[in-house]
Amino acid sequence: MALFGSLFCRLILGLVIAFLFMPILIVLTVSFSSSAVFAFPPPGFSLRWYASLGNADSMLQAVWLSTQIAALSTAISLVLGTLCAIAITRGMIPGAKAVATFMASPLMLPGLVLGIAFLQAARDFGLRDTYTTLLIAHVVITMPFIMRTVLASLSLFDFAMVDAARMLGRSYPAALWTVLVPNILPGFVSGGLFAFIASFDNYPVSIFLVDVRTKTLPIQLLNQVEMSPDPTVAAISALLILGTIVALIVCDRLVGLKRMASI
Amino acid sequence: MSQHATATPPATETHQEPSYLAVSNVTKRFGAATVLDTLSLSVGRAEFVSLLGPSGCGKTTLLRLIAGLLAPDQGAIEVGGRDLTRVAAHKRNIGVVFQNYALFPHLTVAENIAYGLRAKGVPKAEQARKVENALGLVRMEAFADRAVTALSGGQQQRIAVARAVVVEPSLLLLDEPFSALDRKLRETMQIELRHILRNLGITSIFVTHDQDEALVMSDRIAVMNEGRIEHLGTPSEVYARPKSLYTMEFVGQSSRITGVVKGSSESLVEIDTPFGMIRAPGHFLTGSKVVVGVRPEAIAAGEGPAGEYNTVRGTVAEVIYFGSRTLLHFQTAQEGDRLHVELNRLPDTVEPGSAMTLRWRVDDSRVFPAPTEAAR
Amino acid sequence: MTLARDDLAVPPTPVSRWQFDAKALIAAPGLVFMALAFAVPVLMLVGDSFVDSQGLSLAGYRKVLGDPYYIGIIGNSLQLACITTAVCLAVGYPAAWALARIKGVWQVVLFALIFLPLTVSVVVKTFGLTIMMRRDGIINFLLVNLGFIERPMRLVFTEFSLYFGMVNVFLPFMILPLYSVMRMLDPRLMDASASLGAGPLHTFLRVTLPLTMPGVIAGGTLVFSISVAAYVTPGLLVGDRFMTMSQVMAKAYLNIRDFQLGASMAVIMLVISAALILASSYLVRSPGGEKH
Repeated sequence: MALFGSLFCRLILGLVIAFLFMPILIVLTVSFSSSAVFAFPPPGFSLRWYASLGNADSMLQAVWLSTQIAALSTAISLVLGTLCAIAITRGMIPGAKAVATFMASPLMLPGLVLGIAFLQAARDFGLRDTYTTLLIAHVVITMPFIMRTVLASLSLFDFAMVDAARMLGRSYPAALWTVLVPNILPGFVSGGLFAFIASFDNYPVSIFLVDVRTKTLPIQLLNQVEMSPDPTVAAISALLILGTIVALIVCDRLVGLKRMASI
Repeated sequence: MSQHATATPPATETHQEPSYLAVSNVTKRFGAATVLDTLSLSVGRAEFVSLLGPSGCGKTTLLRLIAGLLAPDQGAIEVGGRDLTRVAAHKRNIGVVFQNYALFPHLTVAENIAYGLRAKGVPKAEQARKVENALGLVRMEAFADRAVTALSGGQQQRIAVARAVVVEPSLLLLDEPFSALDRKLRETMQIELRHILRNLGITSIFVTHDQDEALVMSDRIAVMNEGRIEHLGTPSEVYARPKSLYTMEFVGQSSRITGVVKGSSESLVEIDTPFGMIRAPGHFLTGSKVVVGVRPEAIAAGEGPAGEYNTVRGTVAEVIYFGSRTLLHFQTAQEGDRLHVELNRLPDTVEPGSAMTLRWRVDDSRVFPAPTEAAR
Repeated sequence: MTLARDDLAVPPTPVSRWQFDAKALIAAPGLVFMALAFAVPVLMLVGDSFVDSQGLSLAGYRKVLGDPYYIGIIGNSLQLACITTAVCLAVGYPAAWALARIKGVWQVVLFALIFLPLTVSVVVKTFGLTIMMRRDGIINFLLVNLGFIERPMRLVFTEFSLYFGMVNVFLPFMILPLYSVMRMLDPRLMDASASLGAGPLHTFLRVTLPLTMPGVIAGGTLVFSISVAAYVTPGLLVGDRFMTMSQVMAKAYLNIRDFQLGASMAVIMLVISAALILASSYLVRSPGGEKH
């Protein structure tokens, strides 16, 4: 009976993995299809949709914009979030637990609600520059990922090391840089990666903030899927998936995937 | 306190040479709590002084103040004649061995030791030479390229000591460095560390809550209680001639019997206790409530000559056998009192309920004012 | 990534010992930024929901809560979230169990395979799903070739495609918290129960399920709260045929410009999310499901 149960569970696990990968594999398959319609099985193999990416200016612009916003917002969150997390962990500020919850709470709010809030606030404050608005909103989106991983890393970090570094002749900032930063690097890498992905993939917040000339990649992609779905979209999606896998492998080399995901 | 002006010579005065570390009237508060209260301490060059006390007595706070990791609310700290009170921690040139060593796990053993040298801008070649010397000092030459995380507790401690002393600090602070080690290893490391520091001639302040550790290692011990130093003296002074009931109780075993002063002569007081009249050196007003303290090994079985000895009779309550010695607990009449006797050889017939006659030298008795109810 | 939500690793602060320290200023930039860029806009949105062109008013809420149409939409969102969560739990529980019981390198590999889809853009996955759902897509291809149906049938814009897609996108969010709890379980507990003569069902109900309850609560809360607010997947897979709160909010702001309607809907969603998070943290802390 127990054996049957465990076999049953394993079967489900296998089916679940197949199920989860289906849409991803379909996108990859379609991107190499010779046909412009998405029939299955595809009639033949071609790279024409990848070749046509070179002409998809608006798509490439969106990739570039999303990359900038994701990289900048992650970097800003890393600096602001880490400094805040140090103060929280060391009990330098009162109500540390509440402050930590506050800094991580954008993750708990529905994305659309956040997006609407940003839209209204940007209007009320007269903030008209789309790029700046997007960047500010994405710092808020990425902050929880940084807070969670960095707080978890700091809770395992022995701050006596910072004192030790100071007693050995380094100023407080230099001690943080030479001792704390290298030791919580895995937290930075995994938190940074997830923050980057969260920003890069964000739809529900960005949809309220973009304008006709400034569109992030998910917005542009969805537009294209709704308006004129063709395998070009599949090709760019395939490249995104490839990029994600490369990023995951690089980070795995750096800190280990298991450790990343468990935080 | 003032009324028991002591007959014993002021032994600690002999150590008041020109002081190397001078902590003067330092006060430190955390919010409403005063952790250190106008505390002063002076330590001579190359001396090894322990700060001994229970947790919360302020010993670690004092250590962190000396290190510069905390700033005092009042008072001054000088090392070698230089006022360090306002000097940042990283400019004090004070070495610290932390409780859990605080080695840098992202660096190798050699890199850990070189860390302070690099921070000070010592040339590369000289760094290598000094790191090698430091490794030799702690007999860890073979481990230079190991990861510190791969070392045992004792090995980590040696590296922590090497890392702290390689920069030739003007003062070395040790914060309960043995607490992470098991008992056997702790005893070995105590002797070894004492040896290394003596050879280096480095002035050391050692924080511990373990009285045995303090007795074994120190030139002098500062017994701390509630932000003050209760007694500063050599290990034998602190043990044999405690200045306060607190010191007597905190360092080593002791018996305590409460009584009332009935009369006094030139240098002795007579105290009425449930065990009869006990005489002890000291000066107290007749009628004051006092506590008599005696170390267990000072007490022997049988009667002694009346002039020199106190003789009492007691009933055995408990017999605790340790092999080489036996500890006897006697019945006492008052709460808080205890009479503990340590005997090397036991009369055959002793068991709970037996009556025994005990004696100890009048000179071995210490008298302290009884703690007020509020203080208990 | 977004597993159990209330496990922020913050050591207890010795509050009585707190005193101002200049180093505390390092927290200021982050806190000030989040206050201005996050707290203020959200509070302003809540404020907006009580205001119309004339001043203070509850018109937005009256419109939403007094109109069967909008009530139906709130019902749709809740139904979507409930069914998605239930299916994810039913499928995810045994899958997570198997994952937690597999040993060695396989566990890492399979874990990565569950985890990887999370890092793929929702838009890309939903795009893949719409391709699968086509009349000439893989689902119909499989169903016909396996002999379940005679001719391909229409799947796009059906509720089947909606739930298929929702579960596909959100299933990992159920499996990962379950897995992180099950991994910590000592399998000997189950053996002990079996050796005491308990049947498999009894063992499951009395031992396994209570011990894995924190994972069920964490995963359930997570899947429910993100699927109740889902926008991209329902939008692409069923569109206007199955209106949800998210759809209404987006339309209110992007198309019909009825800001009070949008703000009221947003606040209602906020209340649902907040209630859910509070309820789950209460459940996790109560004796029924103790915090691991």
